[in-house]
Amino acid sequence: MRLLSGQRAWLLQRLTAVYIGLWLILALGYFIFAPPVDHATWQATVGHPLVGLLTALFVLALLLHAWIGLRDVVMDYVHPPGTRLAVLSVSAGALILLGLWALFILIRAGLS
Amino acid sequence: MEFSIYRFNPETDTLPKMQRFTLPDDQVEPGMMLLDALLLLKEQDDSLGFRRSCQHGVCGSDGMNINGMNGLACITPLADLEAPVTLRPFPGMPVIRDLIVDMGNFWDQYRKAEPWLVNDSPEPEVERKQSPEDRDQLDGLYECILCGCCSAACPSYWWNPDKFLGPAALLQAARFIQDSRDEATDHRLAELDDAWKLYRCHTIMNCTQVCPKGLNPSRAISDIRRTMLKKSL
Repeated sequence: MRLLSGQRAWLLQRLTAVYIGLWLILALGYFIFAPPVDHATWQATVGHPLVGLLTALFVLALLLHAWIGLRDVVMDYVHPPGTRLAVLSVSAGALILLGLWALFILIRAGLS
Repeated sequence: MEFSIYRFNPETDTLPKMQRFTLPDDQVEPGMMLLDALLLLKEQDDSLGFRRSCQHGVCGSDGMNINGMNGLACITPLADLEAPVTLRPFPGMPVIRDLIVDMGNFWDQYRKAEPWLVNDSPEPEVERKQSPEDRDQLDGLYECILCGCCSAACPSYWWNPDKFLGPAALLQAARFIQDSRDEATDHRLAELDDAWKLYRCHTIMNCTQVCPKGLNPSRAISDIRRTMLKKSL
């Protein structure tokens, strides 16, 4: 917990927010100004190593950001220690699963 | 003028209730403060309990929730209040009786901020000097009268009063972190760097909105975060 506590968590939440914001602007720009014409173009874009790397970082940033935010909400509102541990464990498990799923998609797109 | 006042006597009541009071118009004078009205209402019903002392916004005794906003009765002009004036004790604090709350936890958190100067250097003959610029850093921090209006208005303090220090204690922490004569800055910052004491603040800023002395605990908390960041870089 010490790793993601106090100032470090607070700072990380802000840095990840900046990266998430920049990635979203880039993604939105791509869909507005150069949308993929067919599935093959879309696959080529997603499979590009740079896109894959930036997106993997985006997923990581999103998961860290979500974890800190969820943890804050739980710390504020959920007070019984057992319930708090259960809610935090389920949240962490769900976020890790989401991360693995996103990683699986990105690797498959990179290989195709 | 009509009043609706929170009443609770632990010796006779199981639940609190709101009681209506009427202050006759001939007793309402221009320039009157809410505390003056409360003192007149107490003449009608002397069982009405509230704290007050200096009556000039210096001692910080008569903090209460006035029409939904925390403030000091002695410096709240009656003319600015919409009738019926609803008075409740500070939200989130245990009620001892009527408008009187138990501020024990508030003082415990104040103590955790270590609100005293730490300086182990040999004492100079006359005084520990400070440049006017360094002294200016304490403006907006030292004026706090510890009335508790800010902490009692802070949702983070309502949720975790035992772990989050609250805006009043953090303003004091900032006051000693900023003090050029204090030698315990690193210790103070390290103490605050956990998930609870400082970082439960979500910049809701109710503290700044209600402070009867016009101070800005929210900015003081941001300043602590900034100092912490600079130290860690």
